[in-house]
Amino acid sequence: MPKRLAYSLPDEVLEHVFSFIQSDKDRNVVSAVCKSWYEIERWCRRKIFVGNCYAVSPKMVIRRFPQVESIELKGKPHFADFNLVPDGWGGYVLPWITEMAGAYPWLEEIRLKRMVVMDESLELIAKSFKDFKVLVLASCEGFSTDGLAAIAASCKNLRELDLRESEVDDSSVHWLSHFPETYTSMVSLNISCLGSDEVSFSALERLVSRCPNLRSLKLNRAVPLDKTANILRLAPQLVEFGTCTYSAELRSDVFSNLAGAFSNCKELRSLCGFWDVVPDYFPAIYSVCSRLTSLNLSYATIQSPDLIKLVSHCPSLQRLLVLDYIEDSGLEALASNCKDLQELRVFPSDPFDAEPNASLTEQGLVAVSLGCPKLQAVLYFCRRMSNAALVTIAQNSPNLTRFRLCIIEPNTADYLTGEPFDVGFGAIVVHCKDLIRLSLSGLLTDCVFEYIGKYAKKLEMLSVAFAGDSDLGLHHVLSGCESLRKLEIRDCPFGDKALLTNAAKLETMRSLWMSSCSVSFGACKLLSQKMPRLNVEVIDERGPPDSRPENCTVDKLYMYRSVAGPRFDMPPFVWTKDEDLALRLSP
Amino acid sequence: MELQLGLALPGSDTWSRPLLKLGLYEDINVNSKKRGFDHGYLEDEFSAASFKNYEKGLVGWPPVKTWRRKKLRCQVHNHMTAAENGCCVGRASNSTYVKVKMEGVVIARKIDISIHQSFETLTTTLMTMFDIFDENRRSFKLTYQDKEGDWLIAEDVPWRTFVRSLKCLKLIRSRGYQ
Repeated sequence: MPKRLAYSLPDEVLEHVFSFIQSDKDRNVVSAVCKSWYEIERWCRRKIFVGNCYAVSPKMVIRRFPQVESIELKGKPHFADFNLVPDGWGGYVLPWITEMAGAYPWLEEIRLKRMVVMDESLELIAKSFKDFKVLVLASCEGFSTDGLAAIAASCKNLRELDLRESEVDDSSVHWLSHFPETYTSMVSLNISCLGSDEVSFSALERLVSRCPNLRSLKLNRAVPLDKTANILRLAPQLVEFGTCTYSAELRSDVFSNLAGAFSNCKELRSLCGFWDVVPDYFPAIYSVCSRLTSLNLSYATIQSPDLIKLVSHCPSLQRLLVLDYIEDSGLEALASNCKDLQELRVFPSDPFDAEPNASLTEQGLVAVSLGCPKLQAVLYFCRRMSNAALVTIAQNSPNLTRFRLCIIEPNTADYLTGEPFDVGFGAIVVHCKDLIRLSLSGLLTDCVFEYIGKYAKKLEMLSVAFAGDSDLGLHHVLSGCESLRKLEIRDCPFGDKALLTNAAKLETMRSLWMSSCSVSFGACKLLSQKMPRLNVEVIDERGPPDSRPENCTVDKLYMYRSVAGPRFDMPPFVWTKDEDLALRLSP
Repeated sequence: MELQLGLALPGSDTWSRPLLKLGLYEDINVNSKKRGFDHGYLEDEFSAASFKNYEKGLVGWPPVKTWRRKKLRCQVHNHMTAAENGCCVGRASNSTYVKVKMEGVVIARKIDISIHQSFETLTTTLMTMFDIFDENRRSFKLTYQDKEGDWLIAEDVPWRTFVRSLKCLKLIRSRGYQ
């Protein structure tokens, strides 16, 4: 195409063409074509995703993209989920809300993950965005039902309120009652994380009854079983439902009421919750089971025979989350019944006991791999594994994109041969060419990292714990994994050499976390000095790292690329460089 | 394989000047020893502090979300089925109710062990349960029977060990201790 033609298209036409391009990657490519495309694109970009809230400042985002309607932000590093990030580390959303309140009056959607959200932020959202529609707070904390009340009272076009896995303080405000009687727009409500006192059942019932577009409702455990039927009868159009508490004994009146209510829900495709469930109630949901595509039983402490019975009624299942009570026998039943299964997550019922709580071994996962050709995503906690099993899984599930295996006891070897799992995980990366996420466990040497560096070319996220022999391991990963974005490592003998050799690589990644490894403070300082667009943060609760010799190792290290420079909201236990290229205590 | 220190991207031909001569890094303590459970590997006296959580087990391992752990623990707390089992074990049967007897008292009581995180809260609850006043607290000792059937003094072991092997509890009057 002649060069001139590109310039002869009016801006409006280009803008219209760009509106069909939704993915961030594609939009970024479009904006890099030429200056005029950059200009047009930045004015019409409506959706922003910021994977690390400290990688860029709100002012910078607003300057480049003046008309944003939807923003997604992520705060703390992933290992914060496992208590490895001390309280007060950061991830505050208020600076973002404050800037956006002025710049984006038409903002409709805010999605946050692992961020600290104060009531002040929620109140500001409620006040500033007139057409606010979607609020998702995933694994967030810092707010109370007061903040929720502000949202409920002011956001008359709110469609989605999802508080998944967040910590909410109870301020004793009946926040649900703050939705005015005129409010009818709810489509998706997830309040499963709230405690018993934080939800008024009658307010909930009234809300559900006046929202005809409600498609997804995830209740908290405080709603008793006999009320569940009432809710379902008010919303038979539900596609996704999170149940509440099941009572201790079977009551036939409650049972038949529940069964009747479920049978009305012809659109229901996804069920979760099942807190305190008693298996005698399961037959009440059999009428919807054949259509279910997603089932989350990971809070249901029921045993294998009942799980098998339930699962055998769900041939359309694509996604199953379950506890290890399902046992190998349950997974074998799953493999023979659910041929459309794409995602399986098996959680440990008792993660801290050295003894197995249930008869779940590598055999269960092998069975699923053999029986379910569409398997794509696996999260599996178990206490024993073999290379042979891993090789079988790799060969039979080449479409795996996410494979996370947690052999509970660190440094566990192959129970058949006593060997490390290098060969097993090696097979995974060789056969599963589209693998984008991998979590390793068990006894592993530097060899496994050589395989990963050589074959895992599409790998974007790698989690490593108690593995490797030397810096060579880390070097293989950093030098080989071309698509690597996030790397998190704990308790591995990786140190300065690998990091300093591959320093440039670190700027091509979103972030690197290393805790209880062998990285010295001196190396951190050096990286800091030489890589201006890398924020190198040392987290050490023992005291200032420069009070110890430079060759002392740091406790935790979090480094991420950033165009915003070092952050200003660090707590006393986080150190980074200042403008003078010397490390200082944060104020 | 000797690693050359440099700043270039891997595989690129144009290597920027090596950061510093290799010699300067000789004194950096790159410890290649495997670091897992092996806590004999404490390279300086400051490392001890970083293991402060060790007595409770490794921090953040296995990688189960705190949120999930909390919910599951709350749930087990609600299981009343334990009542039928008498002396019941914490882990294997989903129930966390444990029988408690007091020396000299005929009727045994039951207590939910999962809602306690320390001997402190457990003892306080037991004192209230058996109407023992604060001043008399020291004249009682908390003992427990473990899975092997042996009777042990509760506070002699770490909390976690205690909870895992606990079968039933007994408050005895301590004679001549203190």
